Amino acid sequence: MTLSIWRYAHLLLALISSLFLLILSLTGVILAYDAVDESSSSYRSDGLDTVSVAQTIRIIKDLYPEIIELSIDKQSRVYLDALDAESESVKGYIDPRSGMLLGPVAKKSDFIQWTTTLHRSLFLHETGRIVVGVVSFLLLLITLTGILLIVKRQQGWRHFFKKVHRDFFAQYFHVVSGRVMLIPVLMISLTGTYLFLSRTGILNKTEAVQEYDLEERTEEEWIDNQLAPADFPIFQDIMLDEVERIEFPFLEDDPEEYFILTLADRQITVHQLSGELVSETRYAYAAVWEKLSLDLHTGQTNRVWAIVLGLGALNILFFIYSGFVITFRRTGTKIKNKYRADNAEIILLYGSENGSTLAMANRVHKQLLDQGERAFLTNIDQYGIFPNARELVIFTCTYGLGEAPSNAKKFEQRLVDYPQRQQVGFSVLGFGSTSYPDFCAYAHQVDTMLAAQPWAGRTVALHTVNDKSTADVAAWAQAWSKETLLTLATAESIYAAAQPRLQELEVISKTDITGDQDPVFQVVLKPKKRSRITSGDLLAIYPDNDAKERFYSIACIEGNIQLIVKLHPNGLGSGYLHQLQVGEQIAARLLANAHFHLPKKAKHVAMIANGTGIAPFLGMVAANKKKRAIQLYAGFRYKTLSNEGYAAFAHEQIAQQRLAGYQVAYSREENSQYVLDLIRRDSSYFGALLRNGGVIMICGALQMQRDVEAILETILANAGANNLEYYRSKGQLLTDCY
Amino acid sequence: MNIVTKTGLALALGVGFIASAVAQSSKYKCMIQMNAYEGEAAYVIISLINPQGGYEKTLSVLGPDKQWYNTLKEWYKFQTKTKEKLHAVTGASVGGGDRAIKVLEIDNDKLNKGYKLRFESAVEEQKYHTTDAEVALTTDGITARTNGKGYIRFVKLTKAQ
Repeated sequence: MTLSIWRYAHLLLALISSLFLLILSLTGVILAYDAVDESSSSYRSDGLDTVSVAQTIRIIKDLYPEIIELSIDKQSRVYLDALDAESESVKGYIDPRSGMLLGPVAKKSDFIQWTTTLHRSLFLHETGRIVVGVVSFLLLLITLTGILLIVKRQQGWRHFFKKVHRDFFAQYFHVVSGRVMLIPVLMISLTGTYLFLSRTGILNKTEAVQEYDLEERTEEEWIDNQLAPADFPIFQDIMLDEVERIEFPFLEDDPEEYFILTLADRQITVHQLSGELVSETRYAYAAVWEKLSLDLHTGQTNRVWAIVLGLGALNILFFIYSGFVITFRRTGTKIKNKYRADNAEIILLYGSENGSTLAMANRVHKQLLDQGERAFLTNIDQYGIFPNARELVIFTCTYGLGEAPSNAKKFEQRLVDYPQRQQVGFSVLGFGSTSYPDFCAYAHQVDTMLAAQPWAGRTVALHTVNDKSTADVAAWAQAWSKETLLTLATAESIYAAAQPRLQELEVISKTDITGDQDPVFQVVLKPKKRSRITSGDLLAIYPDNDAKERFYSIACIEGNIQLIVKLHPNGLGSGYLHQLQVGEQIAARLLANAHFHLPKKAKHVAMIANGTGIAPFLGMVAANKKKRAIQLYAGFRYKTLSNEGYAAFAHEQIAQQRLAGYQVAYSREENSQYVLDLIRRDSSYFGALLRNGGVIMICGALQMQRDVEAILETILANAGANNLEYYRSKGQLLTDCY
Repeated sequence: MNIVTKTGLALALGVGFIASAVAQSSKYKCMIQMNAYEGEAAYVIISLINPQGGYEKTLSVLGPDKQWYNTLKEWYKFQTKTKEKLHAVTGASVGGGDRAIKVLEIDNDKLNKGYKLRFESAVEEQKYHTTDAEVALTTDGITARTNGKGYIRFVKLTKAQ
């Protein structure tokens, strides 16, 4: 719970202040650049600690009959305001050793002046100053909460600088640069806040004034005791590096007019005739701190620090950007539930920390909804009674040391409080990274907790996803589909965060439906742009031009895309494809489906299809220029024209040695036969195929896949060979079923 | 000091004298001593006021940030109308209890003709003093110490050199 408080605090503060921070850090970068630029001024005087006030006064008194003041700025430039021998005004930088004028005072350009005002008060006068002050304070809080978040993420102070796990660019650099830029950003916000407080006058700035009693003297006595300012012992003791400003007496020879010296921590007044100390004002600590804050905030005293501050300000800009990217990703996935929790059959629960687990769960949810399944997606903490649930799927990451993510903290208790009243299958998909020691620890915990519930039956074993691997998700989708007979796409690219762009395809040809019994038609599309696509990949179409998508396995023949579609009554995708006219353009997505490509190395391949599942195999066979031994097994219901067309195509390929054999079964004709019967008949072939490194590819209905796999399992068991899982893991069993 | 610089200085003084005689103007050092008020540094404008009581010329601007110029209302009207270049006469603002010394250049023929120097002051959004202090440009009046009515305690001028 504490984590989310800090995270919300960090986010809320950032949101409120981001606009102002944006202005402040942008102007800050400009001002830092200006400070660096100033520090390289050629009017600097070196070694001010070796030049005494007396020495400089002696020289300038001779050159400038009327001196108003001398000041030394943060960049070690000695500025003189005086009248020269010709009564001309001199305002410029001098060399304190020779008194020579180095150059005129450089007034800040209008742009820098403008930027400074914007930075200090946003052109809003006092209101602006308050806003800027509050924003500095917020930045201080943001920095502090940010540090807490890093500590939490790194699992303690000791690991503060250890490797940060990289989820995505914005997150990684937010954390990494956060650690490095901690000090400058903290300093900027701290000094900025202090300067604000100091201006409001809250801080006690009472000065301690020490007046020294001077002897009562007559005018003659003063003249007698007169010393030249250059001979004042006090001026000989003070070096220029300690001095900020020397105000010369307004009237010469007037005993009431003094030299006023502003030093770093005090101001002293010196009698202009005798050189005695008249008074000394020590600044309050608050004032000294204010000066220090100003120096640290502006970086005027040190060039390197000015650069560091500039980088810090630049980094704040980056923090704003990356922070919002992280937030957007975290909240970017909008759940669109079509069914309520109490009437949904498939319950998807997610436990997500930065939104990527939710995004994955959402992709699964969308697919199920698109197919008309009654699915419901919510976070794990919303777990309750689901009276119509058949399947429960939990997508969860793990936080910190095997802890529940922030929206799954209550699950353990709720699981006890809300036992389901009917049998429900469950499946847990854990997200994490093997670079953490507690990889998917919470997912394991959830899996164990669910297994202990009497109403729960494990549909598929716990699957883990390492570093958002789409292959891992696809593997789970395949396993889950097989058990539940609910179709989930198994192409990895469907689970990738960035979907490929839509592209234009032209309808080249379309066949008509030949028989009412088996309403199948074929569509050939030509991509406008050449694309790297192979048979077995997927085409996603958008019949309603909205988020609803439909996937088709494709054959790729001579650069064209060939689909075999069965027209379903009221079928969204098939209906859409069926009404297409030759020459029409459609927008669709081509998705790679690498796990269902014809393996490059396999010498012997058996392809098993039913119905329209034959589509990708037609392309693979046509592309088999190496003349590998491919056996095609197909099962259909009726001997329709199109089905006989496949047979003709197959025999043509056999003649060209691209296909070794074509076995076909018709289930609704005379001598009813299923593709399963053909496999059973050729069991010795299949057994030998797998043992000798051959590959079996299955495309078609999920039910058919399940049945085929059961037969293969039996064949292998009878032959005393390894089980099917073994060959699947070796990539010898490839499936793409729906 | 060697002979060369001495002659140089003498020469320079001579030339300076001629120059000022030609220009018919004199330089005055002007000290503004502020009251020890609470708050931000004050913006002070020193202007030459003609016998009719109107602004003639801005002699000095104590305050660098243009965003506050409109707080000195009367002068700001004059300034927006004439758009005088202020760059050469602009300097830092002056804080409570502090003092500032400025060099003012005043034409000699403005003396004893009813001209005045006006010191107007403002501290951000606090009270604005149109005439915080006013110095009559007469031979005697110009060097007299004049007390202020607002943020200024007193002003005093003295002829330079």
